[in-house]
Amino acid sequence: MGLSEAEKTYVLHGVEENLRVDGRDREEYRPMELETDVVSHAFGSARLRLANTDVLVAVKIEVDAPFPERPYEGKLEFFVDCSFSSMITWVLNKMKPQMASSPMNSHMASKKMLAKERTIKMISMDIGLPSSSANATPNFEGRGGEVLAAEISNCLSSAYCSSLSFDLTKLCILQGKKCWKLYVDILILECGGNLFDAISIAVKVALRNTQVPRVKCIDMDGNNVEISVCHDMFDCQRLNVENAPVMVTVCKIGDKCIVDPDVAEEQCSVGSVVVAVSGNRFSTVLQTGMGSLHPLTLVDCLKMGHKVGQKLDEAVKEVLKESLRGGDVGFIK
Amino acid sequence: MPIDHKRINGPEDTLPYQLFTKLNRKSLEQKYKELVQDGKRHDSRAPLEHRKIFMKTGVVSQAKGSAYIEVEKTKVMVSVFDPREIPNRQDYSLKGEIYCEFKFAPFSCEKRRLHQLDAEEKQYSQIMKKALEATVCRHEFPNFQVDIYALVLHNDGSALSAAITAAGLALSHAGVPMYDLITSATLGIQKDTILIDPTTIEERICRTPFWKEKEDNEHGLVVLSMLHTHNQVAQFYQSGSISLDKLPHLIETLEKACADTIPVIQQCLVKHVIKTIKKSSNVIEV
Repeated sequence: MGLSEAEKTYVLHGVEENLRVDGRDREEYRPMELETDVVSHAFGSARLRLANTDVLVAVKIEVDAPFPERPYEGKLEFFVDCSFSSMITWVLNKMKPQMASSPMNSHMASKKMLAKERTIKMISMDIGLPSSSANATPNFEGRGGEVLAAEISNCLSSAYCSSLSFDLTKLCILQGKKCWKLYVDILILECGGNLFDAISIAVKVALRNTQVPRVKCIDMDGNNVEISVCHDMFDCQRLNVENAPVMVTVCKIGDKCIVDPDVAEEQCSVGSVVVAVSGNRFSTVLQTGMGSLHPLTLVDCLKMGHKVGQKLDEAVKEVLKESLRGGDVGFIK
Repeated sequence: MPIDHKRINGPEDTLPYQLFTKLNRKSLEQKYKELVQDGKRHDSRAPLEHRKIFMKTGVVSQAKGSAYIEVEKTKVMVSVFDPREIPNRQDYSLKGEIYCEFKFAPFSCEKRRLHQLDAEEKQYSQIMKKALEATVCRHEFPNFQVDIYALVLHNDGSALSAAITAAGLALSHAGVPMYDLITSATLGIQKDTILIDPTTIEERICRTPFWKEKEDNEHGLVVLSMLHTHNQVAQFYQSGSISLDKLPHLIETLEKACADTIPVIQQCLVKHVIKTIKKSSNVIEV
């Protein structure tokens, strides 16, 4: 989506007046929708929809050997996949010229075209996309998606790196021999701006949702280690995500900073700062975007990110508490 | 990660022997005590003192511009290649693009690095690209791409900021239009000890917190790149766990450290200009 100069000015004036295009003020988020336990084969999963941004996170657990330099710790890895939404765009783009050049008579061709159009519509309906290629984020095309994915997963692993934000020692089974390895797979279903924030919340919730099997006993036979896991499906432990970081993208438009930018606002910004807030500390700060910032602006961005991040973290925790209260009701448990 | 089958990578699961030495068995508390003793670090620097820097231009004859930087043991080579048309691109981009590759040589760290870029190198490439994008006048070469390759020959801490500083010098050596000279500095923090330009050992200590329960367990690494004439932050990256009250102070400290590096680059550039003028006047005389 390319914006004209006039549109950009309109967005900029809105930000200055503290009334953005969709009626929010500068520190306000768009409504979010959160679902947990959406993937039955995963150990924990969450889906987050932040206006048009749609993210699916699933956690898989495997047994692995810990790093020799950190024998007391488990492992945590993040994989981000942006290619899916670009694939849909790719399918849409690919099919149109084919239909035009099909060598059949017009009647047949139009029938076939209708059929094809319907399937495309169904694909896009299924995942909640508009049937036009409005999700065609140019950054996603080809290898561009890879760069964005690498940036997000690096930022996540950097934010979860400190043991103050996420305690990996809980994932250790036997020191130096066996540990749990968490694979956090992140699928971006639709991109409507502000990917970092949406993904970080979804990851936090998915980790909270994750059920780590309880280890019953460990047998050592020389160097061989055998572990046996509880048979009871519901006897499992939960991870502590009290301090798991929540990321806030602070975007500078004109002279003012905003949070939760949509696609149009992202285009108007000269630079942005992604802050990962864990508890009352920063676990990662990363400057993104093309431009540079004045040191004082940077500090202002940090202050704003800190304030909003803590509010956001509280909101997420409250939702988690409520969902836990409601979730444990049932005759099985 | 897919493995490159054309290369023999050697055994996958080897370990550096340093893991088993006595030095590694020291407790964290002991390491922290030894971090700064009598106001001096293990290489007898003051906590806020940068290591000595040596820089040189024109070290790679094949490249359009190149620079070599030595921050005591940390050694980085950066080469910049001519702008070329962006490959595999259909639309016309109004601004030029920058391609960055940050690579640790296989022998540069304690653990052997593989030939392919790993996650850490990819992240550093990204950060370097971000810093240089804000520095180069990209509108001067639309639809073209400048390739920048940084190779770390020896990593003794703060390799990323050394690479960014050298890349700025290499770009100006290549004659790529820039807004300003870029300099970069790294800082490590552990509890309330702040260390400018940390070595590998100090970096490692700053990566992990000592106490879990106590309040003053701040730790982390901060990298900042500055454009000085315009007083702009081109790139900022922080990891670890640092409170909001501390960060502005750290940013100020880093700004100062960046400013101190500027004269070194200026001197190096002046030397290069004098050399080129001498060469061309010699040609005219002949």
